Formats: sequence, C-alpha cells, structure tokens
Amino acid sequence: MKIMPLKMVAFAAVVLTGALLLYGVEDMPAWGDPQSPANTHVSPRYIENAIPDTATPNIVTAVLADYRGYDTLGETTVIFTAGIACLYILRRPRNQRRKERD
Amino acid sequence: MLEYVIAKYNYWVYVILMMIGLYAMMGKRNLVKKLIGMNIFQTSIILFYVSIGVKKGGATVPILEGHGHGGHQAVDVATILNPLPHVLMLTAIVVSIATTGVALAALILIYRRYGTLEEDEIIAARRAAAAPKAKDQAS
Amino acid sequence: MTAQLPALQIAIPLLGAFITPLIGWHRPRLAGLWALAVLAGAAALAVALLMQVTAHGPISYHLGNWAPPWGIAYAVDHLTVLMLLLITGIGLMAFLQARPAVAVSMPGREPYFYTLFLLQVTGLSGIVITGDMFNLFVFLEISSLSGYALIALGEDGAPLATFNYIIIGTVGACFYLLGVGYLYIVTGSLNMADLANLLPALYHSKVVLVAFAFFTVGVAIKMGLFPLHTWMPDAYTTAPAPASALIAPLMTKVAAYVMIRIMFTVFRPEFDIGVIPVATILGWMAVIAILVGGIKALAQTDLKRMLTYIMVAEVGYIVMGISVMNRPGLTGAILHIMNDACMVACLFLVIGALAHKGIPRTISELGSLNRKMPFTMAAFVVAALSMCGLPPACGFFSKWYLVQGTVAAGQWVFAGTLLVSSLINAVLFFRVIEKAYLAPGGGHGHDDQQHDDGHGTANVVRDEAPAAMLAPILIMAALILVLGPFSGTIIDAVISHAVPAAF
Repeated sequence: MKIMPLKMVAFAAVVLTGALLLYGVEDMPAWGDPQSPANTHVSPRYIENAIPDTATPNIVTAVLADYRGYDTLGETTVIFTAGIACLYILRRPRNQRRKERD
Repeated sequence: MLEYVIAKYNYWVYVILMMIGLYAMMGKRNLVKKLIGMNIFQTSIILFYVSIGVKKGGATVPILEGHGHGGHQAVDVATILNPLPHVLMLTAIVVSIATTGVALAALILIYRRYGTLEEDEIIAARRAAAAPKAKDQAS
Repeated sequence: MTAQLPALQIAIPLLGAFITPLIGWHRPRLAGLWALAVLAGAAALAVALLMQVTAHGPISYHLGNWAPPWGIAYAVDHLTVLMLLLITGIGLMAFLQARPAVAVSMPGREPYFYTLFLLQVTGLSGIVITGDMFNLFVFLEISSLSGYALIALGEDGAPLATFNYIIIGTVGACFYLLGVGYLYIVTGSLNMADLANLLPALYHSKVVLVAFAFFTVGVAIKMGLFPLHTWMPDAYTTAPAPASALIAPLMTKVAAYVMIRIMFTVFRPEFDIGVIPVATILGWMAVIAILVGGIKALAQTDLKRMLTYIMVAEVGYIVMGISVMNRPGLTGAILHIMNDACMVACLFLVIGALAHKGIPRTISELGSLNRKMPFTMAAFVVAALSMCGLPPACGFFSKWYLVQGTVAAGQWVFAGTLLVSSLINAVLFFRVIEKAYLAPGGGHGHDDQQHDDGHGTANVVRDEAPAAMLAPILIMAALILVLGPFSGTIIDAVISHAVPAAF
C-alpha cells in the first residue's frame, strides 16, 4: 500500500512527458512529406553524391562509414567500453575463484 | 480529432511505447522489469527516428543501381528514402545494446550480493545488515 | 601538425585506451605507466590547443574533410579549450592517485580500470570538442558507460546505486536524443553552427519548444540539478575512491557545459529569455537546489556523502549564473565550473587518501587527523575555505561574479541565497575541521579516548599518505590558491570570448 503514491507519481510524470511530446507533434510537417526540412536540407546530398563521392551504391553504408564515419568510430568505442566494463565488473580475482572452488 | 491522429499516427505510436517504457522504469520495483522498460523506451526512440526518414509517393530503399565511379546517372531525390535517420539509429541501436549489457552486468553483481532482484528486498537486506553495526557502535 | 591538434586530442586517449588492456594482460604495472603517459600526452595537447585558440581564434576541424552540415565537425573555441584543459588536467591528477590505490584495492582488475579511466576522459573530451548534436550523444554514452562501470565496484550498496544511475542516466541521454530528433524534423540538420543559423526563424514552433524542454531535462539529469539529483549522492558516495575522484568533479561540469552550449550556441539568448521563461524557471530551481543541497549536507554524518550534497548545491550555483542572463552571471558560471571542478577534485582526492589509509569517513571519528595526516588535512582546509568563498582561494572570485550577476539582474533573492549558502558551507566545513584539528582521540571511536583526554593527542603517530597519492592533492590545493588571483587574466584571455556578444 505504501508503494501506491510512487506509482501515482510515476504515472503522472509519464503522462506529462507523453503530452509534451504530442504537443510538439502538432507543428511537425506531415508524416512522409518529401518536401519536409528533414528530407530536403542535408540528406539530398547523400543521395545524389553517394556514388561520385564514395563509390558505394548503398547510401546508408556510404553515410555510416564515410560522411559520418566518426560516429561509427564512437559506436565501436561504445561496444569496446561495454565489453571492458563487463570484464571489469564480473571478473573475479584469482584467489577469490580458488576460494569458491574449495 | 481522429483524422489528426491518423495523419501522424507514427508519432502517436512512438509516444505510447515511450510512455510504457518510462512507466516501467519509474513505477516497477523489480530491477529486470525496469531494464525491460529501458529497452522499450530506447526502441520507441529508434522507431521515432526511422519514421522521420519516410517519404511517401513511391520512394524506395536507399540503395542505388550500379557501382564504382563510372556510369553515374543523376538520381531523383524524391525516389529514395532519407538515409540519415537510418544511419543515426544504427548507432543508437548499438548504444542501447551496450547499455543493456552493462546494466545486466550490474544486475549479476546485485544478485551475487543479495540473492534477489526485488528492490524492496534489497533495501530491507541492506537495512538489516546496517542495523547490528549501529548497535555495536552504540554499545 | 598543429592543424591536426583537435583530432589528436581525442585520438590519443582513445587509441591509448584500446592498447591498455593488451599491455595489461601481460604486465599490469606497465599498463598503468602507459595510461599515465597517455593522459600526460592528452593534457599537453590541451595546453597546445589552448595556446593555439587564444592566439589564432576558434578552430573548426572537419573530420574526413566533409564540410560541416554533411560531415561531422569539431568546434574548438575558448570555452572548449578551457573544458579540455580541465578534463585532461583533473584526469591526470586523479590518475596519479588512482594508480597506487587501485593496485592495492582491486588486484587483477587494474588494466580494465585504467582502460575505463581513459575511456571516461575520451568521452568527456569528445562531448566538449564536438560540434555535432548526434556525435555529442555518442560521446555522452561512452563517458556514461565507463562511468557506470567505474562506480559499480564500490562499497556495499554500489551495485544498486549503479543500476539506478544506469536507468536514470539512460533517460537523460534518451531525452537529449529526442530533442535532437525534434530539431532534426524541423531543420534537417545536426550541426550546431548550422542549427544556430536555421533556428531563429522557427523559434515559435512548438517542435522547437518541446525539443528545448527535453534538452534541458536530459542535461539536468546528467548534471544532477535539484529534483533530478537523486541518483547522485548514492552513486558518488558508494563509488570506489579512485573512480569518484575522476567522475565527481567532471561529469556534472561537462553536463553544465552542454547546457551552456545548447542555450547560447545552438539557441540564442533571445530564445532563452523571450520565447519561453526558461531562465526564470532555471533560476528558481537553482535556488531550491542550493538550499536543499546545503540543508541535506548538514544532516549527513558521512564526509563523502556530505560532499555529494554540497555538489548538488554547487550545481545550483552554476545554473543560477546561467539563468540570470547577463555578462557577469555567465562569466561567474563558467569560472565556477572551473573552480568547482578543482575544489571538488581536491576534496575527493583527500577522501581517496583517507580511504587508502583505511580511515572511516564518519565525521565524528576524524579526531586528531591533522596530526596523523598533516599535509592532506592542510589541502582539505584550503579547498574548504575556497568552498566557503574566502579570498584568496578561487571560490571567492567565482562567487563574486555570480553575486554581481544576480544583483545586475535585480534578483535579490538569488543573491541572498548565494550568501546563505556560503554560510552553510562555512558551518559544514567548520564542523569537519574542528573535529580533525581540535578533537582528541585516535579517530576510531573507542572508549579509551576518554582516558587519553588530557594528553591523548600527543601519542598520535603521523601516518601520511604515500607521496604518490599526496602529490596530486597538494597540486590541486596549490592550484586553488593560484587560480584565484589569476581569475582576471583567465577571464580576459578565455572566458570573455565564451560569453555571447549580446550580453
């Protein structure tokens, strides 16, 4: 019973967040509009120049590995970080492992 | 009202998913449920971004014909989907998986120490462990 | 060579982190020296970059030679180099102390600790150097993930604190990402400079308002601004001392930097004042943060937990400086980012030395510590006086600018809050200093201290931390004293360029 207020607070916060996000949706361009800013400002250059610039027919690959290749370096670093983090957290020192075996 | 929802239903879907995830993260007391909520939350954002890239009117996947530097023809931008949100979300998917991995490692650590993943039980166990210590100091 | 400095600033710690575990599998000791060399190199690069930017002005570095809106660009300006210097410098100091401490406290895990340490520095440097909104998110996650891991292996309660931090931190990062997405929908751009040009025409769009709200909330979570600070005391108190000396001073400050970037580079001050009253809201949140942080700190018996609540108040200082929206206020906020990072670093390094010597952190058990660890405690006193805002320590100067800013804005309540907070800090630190310098006893709360009362302090043996751990503490304490009188120079050379011209 004591947990009820927490759930109410959580519910209120969630509804507030959702309402705020939907409030913003009102002014967005129509879904799938080819003339929306997202589809006309930066991305046409990728579509038009992917082959002359990078010789890659898959545009997603061209952007991922060339135009925004630095993000991908960061992405692999994230994986590396997670891997090292798991090793660091879960590794048990040798003497502790020996103790558990006995 | 209904028409308004239908015209941009992609955003409504993502917001509802996001609310489910956020509620699970804040309202649930089981740590695994919180983690699942986090995953739903991240997935909803991926859905949101991918839906930005859509172009109606017969646009297709962002893979062009031909390859190499030769034989290039001008491409009609309206016939190809926006590739940028897809690229961003490839990165975001990886980030979300990495975060889940680290969170699971933390969960294993918690389970090893307390033998439970219910937040209330862990807090109770910590209180019980702290109480005798305080008594020692008082005496 | 000098043209590539911005790329090297990230590449060196990043590649250093990749190589560290390879060395560490064979020779853990060598891995520590390697990581130390990498951090020293990164700090040297930050100094070189500072000289270049102050001499030749801001640098825009195009990664892969793709022009900005299409490719990713680094935007290195005066504020960036100041933050880079802070991150690499404090990183180096924290590592000097962490290396001997980790060898004792977590044998078998040192190479991973060193790697995560370097990744944390890389992530924080990447956040401040990048000029691309999405790239910032990627680096934010690198620093967050390494931070979660570094915190996880602390004392009892650390795993649960870490898990809660992961959940809340992910909400913060995802809110930021949502904000980026909303801006992308209406502008089609991810580059900060490009967004700054495109946005003024859209200031009244609801999408932009929502995006701004989510940026603010996301960043506020990361910097531990008052109602969203709940993860911070637990996570930083239970963290192992070598990790908290790195993360506690830097993570909140870098988040404050991101807030300044978004409010003054991506958006213009006109937006922050005119379109939505965000400045007013932030200002009052800062007042509550300062007061609640101070009062909560008064209630603590654990020294480290007390410091984390003081940090909650200090974050309030920075936000207050941002919120008054004038030149002295923002100057004070930036100066306080720098000064507070140094003070918090110094205090957490002292905690690290105490932890290494196995001294309990309970304030009532710190008796006679000035005899046991005279140099450590002297540094603690310097940092404490700076926190209270006494000249010539640097804390006085940033508070002076903050008070000026609030007065110039006519916000007398804000100015009063700053003064009250200084008093609270004085009480807090006096309590600790009084215990450490005047209270008798060996510090372990045994009954026999009553028998010793008359002459008990005489037989306390000096047991100072090893020189390798003491050196960074003394360097930070000296820095706190030196930075103060040089505040004017720093403001003229660096910070005045970081304040928007409209102020």
